[in-house]
Amino acid sequence: MKKVAATTDGTDTSDGTAEDTAAPASRRRPARRRGTGRIAMAVSVFGELLITAGLVLGLFVVYSLWWTNVVADRAAAKQADKVRDIWAHEDDGGSGRPAEFDSKNGIGFLHVPTMSGDDILVEKGTSTKILNDGVAGYYTDPVKATLPTSGKKGNFSVAAHRDGHGAEFHNIHKIEKGDPIVFETKDKWYVYKVYGILPETSKYNVKVLSAIPKESGRTKAGHYITLTTCTPVYTSRYRYIVWGELERVEKVDAQRTLPEELR
Amino acid sequence: MYGWIWRHLPGNAWVRALISLALVVAVVYVLFNYVFPWAEPLLPFNDVTVDNQ
Repeated sequence: MKKVAATTDGTDTSDGTAEDTAAPASRRRPARRRGTGRIAMAVSVFGELLITAGLVLGLFVVYSLWWTNVVADRAAAKQADKVRDIWAHEDDGGSGRPAEFDSKNGIGFLHVPTMSGDDILVEKGTSTKILNDGVAGYYTDPVKATLPTSGKKGNFSVAAHRDGHGAEFHNIHKIEKGDPIVFETKDKWYVYKVYGILPETSKYNVKVLSAIPKESGRTKAGHYITLTTCTPVYTSRYRYIVWGELERVEKVDAQRTLPEELR
Repeated sequence: MYGWIWRHLPGNAWVRALISLALVVAVVYVLFNYVFPWAEPLLPFNDVTVDNQ
């Protein structure tokens, strides 16, 4: 900083450039040479730039941890309303096409009482664009998720944000073995039970998404669910994995009575 | 820098304060709507999937 200022000064003063460069800016101030004003200005501009940079970084934190949630919650609420609307509408008219296969609007809702009091809309894909709307996305890449609605054995793998953009999986560390994960579609409740947790794994560990996730301890094909998000909080150095296995499927009744796990 | 801006704003102190406030709001708006959304994916805070590209 001083060096830059001194060099600027050195080019302007005709006498003793070398001496000027060596002398600290503070000692020269009382001399009131022609260049002193410029040094002071350069230093003050530099200081102001530093303050500005600090403020911008502070604002970025505000943006990441607060504003993205506001935007995402708004988007998620809108999309969730739309899905619920479609479900309700189909009950009246009976267009024939089951809503759970309409992957454009989201396929259903995740309920994880120990993690979050809200229902989390699940949409297709785990791209930034999808997840930034404050929803969970099921994997289509690198390993395609097997949807519970298909009835086939496989792994229903889902990702969502830990912080910002709705932070739907923020409290994933509160999930313990034996806790329920309920996936709600238009006419079924899929009740899963958590049996495996991997608190830290590499982000390249695609095996956790396998149809039979071996790391969870399972060796036979079954109806599994996998939640993935980043860890530790506020960073994404590692991934946090929670596995569950389908316990039973309940039909949704006319009042949409919640399964006992959610009551 | 900020002093220079202040000196070049028109009007009395109140008008200048008002204009300054408007400028600050404009800067924050641009940051929140354009700069931060652009910068965020470039920073390693929010990747949640495995095998993220």
